[in-house]
Amino acid sequence: MRPQLECVVREVEKAIVGKRPVIERILTVMLAEGHVLLDDVPGVGKTTLAVAISRAIGLAFQRVQFTPDVLPSDLVGFSMYEKASGEWLYRPGALNSANLILGDEINRASSKTQSALLEAMEERQITVDGKTYPLQTPFLVIATENSVGTAGTQLLPYAQLDRFLVKLSLGYPDYEAQMTMLRGRQTADPLETVARVTGRDELLAMQREVRAVTVRDAVLDYITRLTFASREHPAVEVGVSPRGALFLCRTAKAKAYLEGRDYVTGGDVQDVLTDVCRHRLLLKENVRETTVAQVLDELLKKVENPDRRGLFTGMKKP
Amino acid sequence: MRKRWIGYAVWLGLAACLYFFENNTGTRTVLLCSLLFPLLPHPRKAFFTADERKKPEEAPAPLTVRSFAAREADDPGDVRPYQPGDPIRRIHWKLSAKKDELLVRETIKEPESVQEERCVSQPVSAQKKKARFPWLLICVTAFCLALLLLLPEARRGAQALCNRVFAASEQVNAYAYDYFPVPENQSVLLAAILAGCSAAALLALLLRGRLSALAVMAGCTFFQVYFGLSFPAWANVILYGLLGLRMMKRPIKRRNLLSCIAILLAVFLAGTLLLPDVDAATEAVSETVRDELSRVAQQITGGMSELPEGDTETRHIHPLSLQTGDSEAQNDREYRLVTVEEEQISMPRFINWLKMILLFLLLVALIVLPFTPFLLLNARKKKAEEARRAFASRDVSEAVRAIFSYVLLWLRETGRDAGNLLYRDWADKLPEDLPEGYRARFAKCAEDYEEAFYSHHALPEEKRQRALELLKETEAALWSAADWKQHLRIRYWMCLCE
Repeated sequence: MRPQLECVVREVEKAIVGKRPVIERILTVMLAEGHVLLDDVPGVGKTTLAVAISRAIGLAFQRVQFTPDVLPSDLVGFSMYEKASGEWLYRPGALNSANLILGDEINRASSKTQSALLEAMEERQITVDGKTYPLQTPFLVIATENSVGTAGTQLLPYAQLDRFLVKLSLGYPDYEAQMTMLRGRQTADPLETVARVTGRDELLAMQREVRAVTVRDAVLDYITRLTFASREHPAVEVGVSPRGALFLCRTAKAKAYLEGRDYVTGGDVQDVLTDVCRHRLLLKENVRETTVAQVLDELLKKVENPDRRGLFTGMKKP
Repeated sequence: MRKRWIGYAVWLGLAACLYFFENNTGTRTVLLCSLLFPLLPHPRKAFFTADERKKPEEAPAPLTVRSFAAREADDPGDVRPYQPGDPIRRIHWKLSAKKDELLVRETIKEPESVQEERCVSQPVSAQKKKARFPWLLICVTAFCLALLLLLPEARRGAQALCNRVFAASEQVNAYAYDYFPVPENQSVLLAAILAGCSAAALLALLLRGRLSALAVMAGCTFFQVYFGLSFPAWANVILYGLLGLRMMKRPIKRRNLLSCIAILLAVFLAGTLLLPDVDAATEAVSETVRDELSRVAQQITGGMSELPEGDTETRHIHPLSLQTGDSEAQNDREYRLVTVEEEQISMPRFINWLKMILLFLLLVALIVLPFTPFLLLNARKKKAEEARRAFASRDVSEAVRAIFSYVLLWLRETGRDAGNLLYRDWADKLPEDLPEGYRARFAKCAEDYEEAFYSHHALPEEKRQRALELLKETEAALWSAADWKQHLRIRYWMCLCE
């Protein structure tokens, strides 16, 4: 792992104990310039995690708690008539000044607000009254969704889920982690101890480097075969879209960069496949005893990996 | 579906052929049965209804409330007017509203969604194993036949067997055969065993598919027509009945089998008991058809006057056939082969062509087969040499890939294949019998391989050395652990050793 990123992970771990894999994944998404959807029960440290990451990297942080009456203008800002000067003045919203947005309970927002956020995520700019304002770079959204108590919520449509690079879940800490957490919180807030170890510009530089990571055709072929297989799987109604394949490739690159390599291996693709594709598969209704995780596992087992394919189908350079 | 119709048509054709060449009660019954076959309940269902297998492949539409209602409206099922006492739940409201009277559903249709559950995936490997088996059987058959032809002892035995068949044929027909020059006391044991083996293999083949059943049918018909030596009627009925059953796709259940046999036997008995005098009438028809056939056959093989060498033994000349114009002989129904022209009726000459072609194919196979392993071996050796040349390639990354692939080939060929896993994960799956620290070294080289395979890096020379060391270690460890079969495989078939 790159030392710089290792430092970040270590800092964040001070605030949230025992969640190294999740932290690494969120960093991967940051490097891949994507957005995260956290699907979890309340109170497992989603906000703490987001704040800790923004502190460790030195990003401007903004949190939006979504309710049904949060309006798009709360996010993207609005124009107001200034009587003194006789002009329309633009009042920026929550998205304008932040690098890292935590959108809590995105499924509680009205669909109008959801789509405003999702559009900003995709375009990385907002348009109010015909004027376009670019957002901060880097721009990362961590949206959360409670998996319990979904009554009276607007579930994200499948098409919008597709825009999130990964769907993660934090999960409860284990015994040791929880004990450490309880002990640490007795006197001080561990969030205060998280120091800034890198900056915004460094992150931007890293993102540029991620884009330059080598992806050989063997890997692209693997990604394509995986996504095709997902579409042809008998239990799957809607498989991984071409955008999903693109995201898979991008995430694999970020993963390879995180590991300190400048080339993507088949293993990188395998590592990120579950996170990237979990929310992109729609199973058939009549398949009861199959879960998405099982389908993805099956794909990994069934689709010949590029290592093997490269070797046994000929010894020439691929 | 169409294939089954064609199969049935061929079968019918064979039965008709048999009937016209050898007209007796047995063949008549076979023809009758073949004609009646599609009318029997079980075969008809299995044979002529549309293929059920294809239906589930079309994804069943999810049963929503709307589609269920739509289906209800299209097909109301059984409805009857309302009578006092009918449960209100059963009233077909939609239809009642349309017809302006209360209608009640006779049966409540169950939604079908429950039955739509199907298993998600099926094992594929089992089918693969099955596919290899017929080849083995074909090889056994070919091998036995080849031995039958090549071993002098077996050949003489086969000739003696043929002589017996000729004798049997002569007893029931008007044919005369040139017997093989074989001593009287020639033992037929070896030939019988070989012929039995090939027949058994053929029968085993027959149990596997419809096409082979058809082939065996054709073989039986050919045998009966050629030698004019038809089996007893009951044997023919059973044989053709079983073959017909075999041609059905559906797995044969005992109940179906028994009922089919019973019906076939009933038809046979009815044919023999109720219609005893049809012989004379049908024989005349048969005769004309034979004449027509022989004329056609002669047109085809007209240019061929001399029989090919080695085939003379089955030519049959009846002494009476030379006495053309003998009115007695011509009138005698027993001796059908009267004129020289008619000599060829029972044995059209194109059969000789067929035999020659078959013999030729067999000879080609016999000549080519022994050499193929060596040809294959040579190709493998060349490929292996080429791969080894890559070990010293100037491009280290290519060399590392080639060397590592050799390591993996070694592991694979000695049964240590870890399946569809990434090579960096292979190290954990390697068995315990490898030397100390091998796994760590393997993992290291797997990393090198990944770098060589996935990146454009120029690799340092030491990685080549490391891979070479691993290869040497692998060779030493696996060679000492392998048994003689694996040694043979490694050295000669995979050419892994130099």
